[in-house]
Amino acid sequence: MGNLLGRRMLLVTGKGGVGKTTVAAALVLAAAADRRRVLCAEVWGDTGGAPHDTPLMRALGAARVSDVPSEVLPGVHGVLLTPTQGHKQFLHQVLPRLLVDAALHAPAIRRFLAAAPAIPEMGLMYQLLDLLRRQDREGRRMYDLCVVDAPATGHALALAQIPAMLLEVIPHGRIGATAREGLGVLTDPASTGAVVVTLPEALPVSETLELCRGLADHRIPLGAVIANRIPEDPLNPSQRAALEGFLKGRSGPGTRLLARAEAAGAALRGLSTLAVPVARVNEEAAVGAALARRVQSALAVQGVLA
Amino acid sequence: MSTPGTLRQLLLERRVIVCCGAGGVGKTTTAAALGVAGARLGRRVLVLTIDPARRLAQALGIRENGPAPAPLAADLLAAVGVTPPGELHAWMLNPRVVFENLVARLSPNPEVARRVVSTALFGHLTRLVAGMQEYTAAEALFELSQSGKYDLIILDTPPSRNALDFLEAPGRLSRFLDERILMLFLPERPRFILLRKAAQRVSDVLGRVFGDAFFREMQDFLQVAKGLFAPMRQHADDVRRLLASQEATFLLITTSEAAALNEARFFRAKLQTLKLPFSGFVLNRSWAVSAQAAATWEVPLDAPAALKSALEKLDNLATTERAWAQRDRAFLQELQAELAPGALAAAAPYLVESLDEVKGLGQLAVALVGGA
Repeated sequence: MGNLLGRRMLLVTGKGGVGKTTVAAALVLAAAADRRRVLCAEVWGDTGGAPHDTPLMRALGAARVSDVPSEVLPGVHGVLLTPTQGHKQFLHQVLPRLLVDAALHAPAIRRFLAAAPAIPEMGLMYQLLDLLRRQDREGRRMYDLCVVDAPATGHALALAQIPAMLLEVIPHGRIGATAREGLGVLTDPASTGAVVVTLPEALPVSETLELCRGLADHRIPLGAVIANRIPEDPLNPSQRAALEGFLKGRSGPGTRLLARAEAAGAALRGLSTLAVPVARVNEEAAVGAALARRVQSALAVQGVLA
Repeated sequence: MSTPGTLRQLLLERRVIVCCGAGGVGKTTTAAALGVAGARLGRRVLVLTIDPARRLAQALGIRENGPAPAPLAADLLAAVGVTPPGELHAWMLNPRVVFENLVARLSPNPEVARRVVSTALFGHLTRLVAGMQEYTAAEALFELSQSGKYDLIILDTPPSRNALDFLEAPGRLSRFLDERILMLFLPERPRFILLRKAAQRVSDVLGRVFGDAFFREMQDFLQVAKGLFAPMRQHADDVRRLLASQEATFLLITTSEAAALNEARFFRAKLQTLKLPFSGFVLNRSWAVSAQAAATWEVPLDAPAALKSALEKLDNLATTERAWAQRDRAFLQELQAELAPGALAAAAPYLVESLDEVKGLGQLAVALVGGA
């Protein structure tokens, strides 16, 4: 682990429902507090340019975002990554102007591009690279850090897999070149870190171990593993021993929550085989931006960010 | 709190139950538990799932990349109380296998099928084309529902942030498969001069974007596969009809988080617009059903200090349990109040027991549908 905020891009991943978006928001707030110019990006469907009220914006307590970067909090920019915007930018770069206009005005080509093999993925990749490259008037980087709230698909590897997959299928042409550049950024530990979020339960933990293996297979550097929503276990060992002798397997008021806390402990021990330390975030009653701030301070205390 | 009668009725009467929901709400687990429950009611059930957690697949004895549905092993069936005539089959959908079967069935002869499948593009198509997973899920559902081997198919829809993707992806795909558009990408010259110009422009653009080698590969693929697209669109329509009929129903799996409620409302409205049958919600990981009669533990007079303090802590946890039960009951009522008459809102309890073991699935099945 280490120096998370010093990288160029953090890919926050994990199965749906584990609090991935909250962790992404916490990382954004931490980077902003550290006076880094941070861009938070969400992979969004193809709903076009209209501003959206997104999960990440809600977690940040920020306003709407669109597919053009805008300041959503002081020092924080937000953007939606959409395949359309991505391949529009890509085509502008690759083709003579006349052809681009022809391409984007021909309904046949527009419809083909929306569903054609690899194009939507390519669009996301290209948009991300373009944002990372942007510079201001003085030639400084526009964004020090880009935090990506990655989509919660099957293996949560979807975004990370794109360049390698593209290279395998389409090694030539401009797609090939873009994919190679993307792969370079993604596999460089100084540039990229995957932040894997999980819950302290048996199924999510086994999926997290799978995900970490998958990231290693794709040579994506693992930045941190964060176990979220850990329930409090109120008993010390002597209390536990006394209680076990008294209950003898009986259930009653409070025993389900106790069993849940014990199961969480067991699940977390399953993460000990990972090469990186696991940051722990306790279960919190807070919601929205207040929750993101709690997670931010939990991560800061454990030295995950610096 | 739950309404076991209604879920039971669905399991007994329908031929297709589609489980939808956002990622992380326990959709696959619920689909598997409903499968167990259906088989316990004596039906021949198939659970179709896409990319389940590996341990859940192991619990069901599902082989990764298996070529076809397989019955659960006898010892697993015994562990969850499934007896004849009940059967439980499961298949982890493999988009590639589904697509190969489809090509084999639709091709005019085996030679065409072989050529389509052996194009380089085909190997990656199911991973690369947007909506392919959703499309193959619908396709597999259609094919297997015609096979006569199953009374009930429970479909666990692909994971996504948006519960609606499953409904919309096949439409997007069939727009892509519109032959009039695909013709522009084929190497043969269209007869009309205007079209010929358009085709030339298209190949200029795509040649630059993809590189000429891949673009030619894509043309090869379209050339051999073009005859398949009309039947594929026909299938998409047939699946749609099956899903819109009274033989099918949609269940929305959700949790008691606020975002889930919004999604549930949105989903219900969308189904209404699409005229698809909606049965109701399964509220997962709910504490609503866990109210305990006794509020506190009685501390034995001779209890040592450690036990006394431990029981105090346990009483605190009990207070939290009650608060959560109240919160989730209120949530369930809110859901029920919003529903059309006759729709169900069932609560699946939060189970500490490990749901990656088949026993846990059996317990969840009992909790959802009743029966010991």
